[in-house]
Amino acid sequence: MVSVQADTISPGAKFASETDQYLVALAVSSQDTAAFGELIRRHQSQIRNFLRRLSGDTNAADDLAQDCFLHAWNKLQTYSGRGSFIGWLLKVAYTTFLQSKRKSKRYAEILDEAGHVQDLQNQQYAVQPDEVPDLDRFLAVLTEEERAVMVMSYGCGLSHREISVATDIPVGTVKSIIFRGKEKIRTSFDLKDHKHG
Amino acid sequence: MTLKIINMAEKLQDGEDRLLESMFQSDEIADDGFSDRTVRRINRQVWVRRLALPVAMVVGAAIAVRPALELLSIGTKVLAPLADKAVVPNTVFAAQLPVLLIGGLAIALVMATFRLFEE
Repeated sequence: MVSVQADTISPGAKFASETDQYLVALAVSSQDTAAFGELIRRHQSQIRNFLRRLSGDTNAADDLAQDCFLHAWNKLQTYSGRGSFIGWLLKVAYTTFLQSKRKSKRYAEILDEAGHVQDLQNQQYAVQPDEVPDLDRFLAVLTEEERAVMVMSYGCGLSHREISVATDIPVGTVKSIIFRGKEKIRTSFDLKDHKHG
Repeated sequence: MTLKIINMAEKLQDGEDRLLESMFQSDEIADDGFSDRTVRRINRQVWVRRLALPVAMVVGAAIAVRPALELLSIGTKVLAPLADKAVVPNTVFAAQLPVLLIGGLAIALVMATFRLFEE
C-alpha cells in the first residue's frame, strides 16, 4: 500500500480537485497564498493570452498579468462568487491594462513636454501586412475597447453578459461593439477567403 | 427563462463567428514558473504589510519617547500647581514641537518606504 505524506504533495496536486469558488473562499478566509497559487496556475494562460492580445507585447503583457494577479489577491474578497471566476479575473486584467495604459500615456505626455517624441500608441499594433500574424493584423484595425470585447467574446468564450460585467459596458453596447468589430474586420480583410494559420 | 433564451441566441453562430472563434483561439501558454514568481511576489507583499505597522510603531516610538517623556514631566510639573498656574508655558511645548514633528514625519516616511517597496 502506498501512503502519501501530506507535506510531499505539491500545492497544485493538493488543490487539483477543488473548485475555483472553494479556493477563493480558502484564500480569503485564511490568507492562503498556496490556494491562490493554484488559481493562478489554472488561469494564467488565459489571462496572459488576453493581455498579450490587448497590448501586443509579450513581455509587457506578462508583467501586466503579474500585476493583475496581485490586484486580484488584494481585492479577492470583492468576488461575490456569482459568475465565473475567470470572468472576474478578466475584469481585473482589463482594469489593470487600462490603468497601465493611462500611466504610459501620461509618461509619453511628460516625455513630449520634455521634448522627446515618442508615440506609444503607434508603437503597438501598427499594421504591417505580411509581417505580423493574422490575428494581430485583425486586431490592429480595432479600437482598444473593441479589441478587449472581441478577445473576451471569441478568445475567452465569455457571454455578452459576462463581458458587460467585466468591462462595465451595457449588454446592448457590448453587442453593438462586437457587430462593429466584425464589420471592421470584414471590410478590412476578406474573411471568407481568409486562410488562417 | 428569458436569460436562457438570450444565452441560446448568443450560442447561435454563423460561419463567420466560427471562423473568428478559431482565429482568436490561442495555444495554452506554458506556466514556466510564472505562477511561482507571482505567488512569491504576493508572499513578499503579505510580509511587508504584516511588518509595516509594527516597524513604523517601533521607529515612531523610539523617536517620540524622549520628547514625550519630557512633555509628560513638564505636564506634571505644570499640572501640579494648576490652581496657581492654569496656563501652560507655550515656550516649553514649542521647543518640543520640532522633535514631535520629525517623529511624525519619520513614521510617514517609513510607511511610504514600505509602500514603495511593496509596489
